[in-house]
Amino acid sequence: MSDPCILIVEMDLLVRTPLAEYLRECGYLVLEASSAGDARTLLEDSARRVDIVLAEVKSGEAAGFALASWVRTHLPNTQVVLAGTIATATEKAGDICQEGPALSKPYDHRLVLDHIQRLLAARDRNDRT
Amino acid sequence: MVPQPRLRPRTRRIVVVEDEVLIRALIAEELRLEGFSVIEADRADDALTYIKSSEPVDMVFSDIQTPRSLNGIQLAETLRDKYPDIPVILTSGNALPGHVGMVEAFVPKPYDVTQTIALMSAILAQKSLGEPL
Repeated sequence: MSDPCILIVEMDLLVRTPLAEYLRECGYLVLEASSAGDARTLLEDSARRVDIVLAEVKSGEAAGFALASWVRTHLPNTQVVLAGTIATATEKAGDICQEGPALSKPYDHRLVLDHIQRLLAARDRNDRT
Repeated sequence: MVPQPRLRPRTRRIVVVEDEVLIRALIAEELRLEGFSVIEADRADDALTYIKSSEPVDMVFSDIQTPRSLNGIQLAETLRDKYPDIPVILTSGNALPGHVGMVEAFVPKPYDVTQTIALMSAILAQKSLGEPL
């Protein structure tokens, strides 16, 4: 049986990449999308069966909810996990890791959050210089 | 003689810049199967931000036509100036030959994934010959 597959939908590369790497370390096959549109494209690609969609939901934007609604209608066997903040997203990823194949659990989701925050701080410093 | 601990080779990190999500996912998946760590960017701007902010990157494989302010050629030019040790491979469906000279290689689209990964591996192997052990 193939590894369970997670699709991460997150616009910010500095957030998405550590989350994806964390979940790969947990034994998942991880797909990455930076938008709901790209996520739909991946989900409609019949070559891939996605088990869980982990998507960001930003306040004031409907794309995340619309994607969740589309998944529930068209892919009823795919679970949708929505996260409103980076902290929530890493917490949800930690939960998925706990429940998943658990090839290894190399680090806590709080370390992933800490890593993401350091990347974002480095970006902010670079933007100022 | 004191035995020296054997250092595990660091996983090579490749940034793939491609706005077509299915193409990006395919090459990223194959690269991971070959043991590479892959950063998937759909925009050259994001790739540059990542390179500035994060761990060292060993190679950039970028489409030339990318959305937003920076295209693949501008990304390659920036990397050549600021990160000259990072080899860059460009790809496109309609590149002009003039773009090819400033990067390690140009791969015309549509490309064969296996051959492209072999090319990347060869360039990285060549580069590692010049690195200190």
